[in-house]
Amino acid sequence: MPVSASSRSVERLARPLPAILPIGLLLVAGAFFAVNGFASARNLANLGLQASILLMLAMPMTLIIMSEGLDLSAGAVLSLCSVVMAESLAGGHGIASALAASIAVGLAFGVANGAMVSLLALPPFVVTLGTLGIAEGASLVLTEGNAVSGLGSGIATLYALDVFGVPFPLLVALATWLATYLLLHYTRFGTYVFAIGGNRDALVLAGAPAWAYHIAIYAFGGLVSGVAALLLTGRMNAAHPTVAIGMEFDAIAAVVLGGTSFERGDGRLLGTVLGVATITVLRNALDLLGVESSLQVVSIGALILLVIVIDSLRKSRRVQTA
Amino acid sequence: MTRDANDGGGSGQPASPVPLLALRNVSKTFPGVRALDDVSLELHAGEVHMLLGENGAGKSTLIKVLYGAYRADAGTILYEGKRVDIARPADARRLGIAVIFQEFSLVPFLDLAQNIFLGREPRRLLTRLIDHARMHREARAVLDELGLDYDTRALAVDLGIAQQQMVEIAKALSQRARILVMDEPTAALSERESNALFALIRQLRASGVAIVYISHRMQEVFELGDRVTVLRDGRRVATLPAGEATPDQLIGMMVGRAVGAVYKRRRYGTVGKIVLDVRGLTTATGVRDVDLNVREGEIVGLSGLIGAGRTEVARAIFGADAIVAGEVQISGAVVEGGPEQIVARGVALIPENRKLEGLALKRSVQDNLLVASLWKLFPRGWYRAGAAYRHARALIDRLRVTPPAPRRLARVLSGGNQQKVVIGKWLAAGCRLFLFDEPTRGIDVGAKSEIFALIEGLVEHGAAVLLISSELTEIVHVCDRAYVMRAGRIGGELDRAELSEENILRLAMHER
Repeated sequence: MPVSASSRSVERLARPLPAILPIGLLLVAGAFFAVNGFASARNLANLGLQASILLMLAMPMTLIIMSEGLDLSAGAVLSLCSVVMAESLAGGHGIASALAASIAVGLAFGVANGAMVSLLALPPFVVTLGTLGIAEGASLVLTEGNAVSGLGSGIATLYALDVFGVPFPLLVALATWLATYLLLHYTRFGTYVFAIGGNRDALVLAGAPAWAYHIAIYAFGGLVSGVAALLLTGRMNAAHPTVAIGMEFDAIAAVVLGGTSFERGDGRLLGTVLGVATITVLRNALDLLGVESSLQVVSIGALILLVIVIDSLRKSRRVQTA
Repeated sequence: MTRDANDGGGSGQPASPVPLLALRNVSKTFPGVRALDDVSLELHAGEVHMLLGENGAGKSTLIKVLYGAYRADAGTILYEGKRVDIARPADARRLGIAVIFQEFSLVPFLDLAQNIFLGREPRRLLTRLIDHARMHREARAVLDELGLDYDTRALAVDLGIAQQQMVEIAKALSQRARILVMDEPTAALSERESNALFALIRQLRASGVAIVYISHRMQEVFELGDRVTVLRDGRRVATLPAGEATPDQLIGMMVGRAVGAVYKRRRYGTVGKIVLDVRGLTTATGVRDVDLNVREGEIVGLSGLIGAGRTEVARAIFGADAIVAGEVQISGAVVEGGPEQIVARGVALIPENRKLEGLALKRSVQDNLLVASLWKLFPRGWYRAGAAYRHARALIDRLRVTPPAPRRLARVLSGGNQQKVVIGKWLAAGCRLFLFDEPTRGIDVGAKSEIFALIEGLVEHGAAVLLISSELTEIVHVCDRAYVMRAGRIGGELDRAELSEENILRLAMHER
């Protein structure tokens, strides 16, 4: 087979960055110069803290969406984990056992979501809508609708900890990013995330237990929610049964903004991180401008549509000129 | 010992007494279908065992039983004389059985190395993390063995169909299998790529690998095969040495009645006015300065190796890709615009990948047949179910789609019948110019003949046909004349007297 030295017949193609990069930068620049108080050192530190929990939810959400899935229960499960953690602390247990209890609850929901999606082949949208209801209900039952407080000072101290100048919550979030990155690109689990989303039959035919890996994707989400409860509870030194509900919207938005596809198993974590940063900056800037929360949701929705439209226009032009 | 079998060429007498793998009286039943009925098959080290049969004869089921994707209801499998249970694909892998599937099993957003080693990723001892360096090195070695220069870091999503097929082959090869099953591996390959594969198969055979090879191309049976097994309706008709078989005999066994080996054009009619006139066509997809025309009542071939730009020409004519220079005239008028405008001018494109582009698999046969002609049938926009059903029935009868059930999902039809539905869709829309891109890819012999009979019927009614095919015999026996493409350009034109496989190849492979 004749081969010219200069070019291969199949080459690795550069993949364009999603439109979130320039738009996100524009937003940050706009906030920096136009929004009063945005550029203050205190606000910027606050941004890092605000982004931490969202980043943690968005990392496993990226893998779930890559596998042609969805997790609507992420926010409700995080709330429940936080409640369980707070109840445990209030009951006099140490942080380690409270964290273990929280992780156990998160894992249980993750495995349940995954099992129904993987073994029963139910649509992820419906499955996680159901578990969302169960988690939310369980939180309300456990707390009778009230906030759980009186947790002692341990968890608040942990939350306020600085490790070589990096706030503890940001450190945990960055560790989650690193762990997810390693999982996605350096383990079989990660390779099979691409395969389950892109061509699940191929994985089955390759002799791998695709069903187990499929469950593991959702279980990973539950696990991270269990850890994220540490930040959520520490931030307020209390737990509120519905505090994180709706956060799945921001997490899914961040993933979509980052260019992860709902089909074919395409995605990247860096895009999601940019999505998280953009949403956090947007919400923060709107807060400072005194825009109410419901209008913030409108602006995030508009941002998603803007980015998706731009990306799809670029893609169609690329196909035409390729 | 295994070498002896090769020396005999087609003697069919295996030297090794214990077969590497033996199926004994295997049966598999699905609701309503006996897919495999008491089939026995022996596979020896160092033989190429051809498996022939029409679609639905049980070849695919047999492979799936071998690979553990299905479990046989009855019968036993012996590996080197010992009974084994192949319940899962992982069991088959352990026994050294690898399959090159016809339905591609690549993951789009993994790179080639990850695809080749899917399920067998090399990992570092201590950390259990994937050893990317080693994986790419080994993938490189396998691709080199196949003479492929593909970048192992390229994503599968960026590959064309022929390239995907070659990666499938690399994937199976990398398993160092003792038993290699190939399901129509050359269906998507050009002549040149096929020859590279054949050389490799001979090499594997010499090293003692047993190869099961499913083919719809008679030529391959005699070129490659040591023994041939013919299946029909889930039963084994016969196993015989390839050297003792004749094409007509094998086809007779497959279909249960004698038919001609290749479809031969019945009548060459008189040709009329020019319908399609392409001048200086150049596109961003690699087509360079192409001139061609097709007249009424004429089947014009567009031949060439895969990658020569044939599909790209068809897409540009159809308005699916932008034209950089040149023009396309339909019936004397220059056309501009996208597929909608082209369809309105009576042009139909029957694409290569019918499952992706030509059919709505989850809709009924009727819906698929009528989708392009709904406005013609119901100009006021009111859908009348009865009339639609009758119309679909008439088309189904004319096309001889089996089963003749308008409400059946398109997905469950065989490849040949799916293709008929795609053709019927455009028939219903009253098209006059048909662009066929590999219409018989992956279709069994009987259905091929029916599809060519349909195409011939089209031109007898005055339609014009541009036929893209990688099977040289199809071009030679079906077309009035043919253009041969090479590297995006027309390499030459052959009239009916000049049409031969040698002439086409000469034009297609001529170096600049």
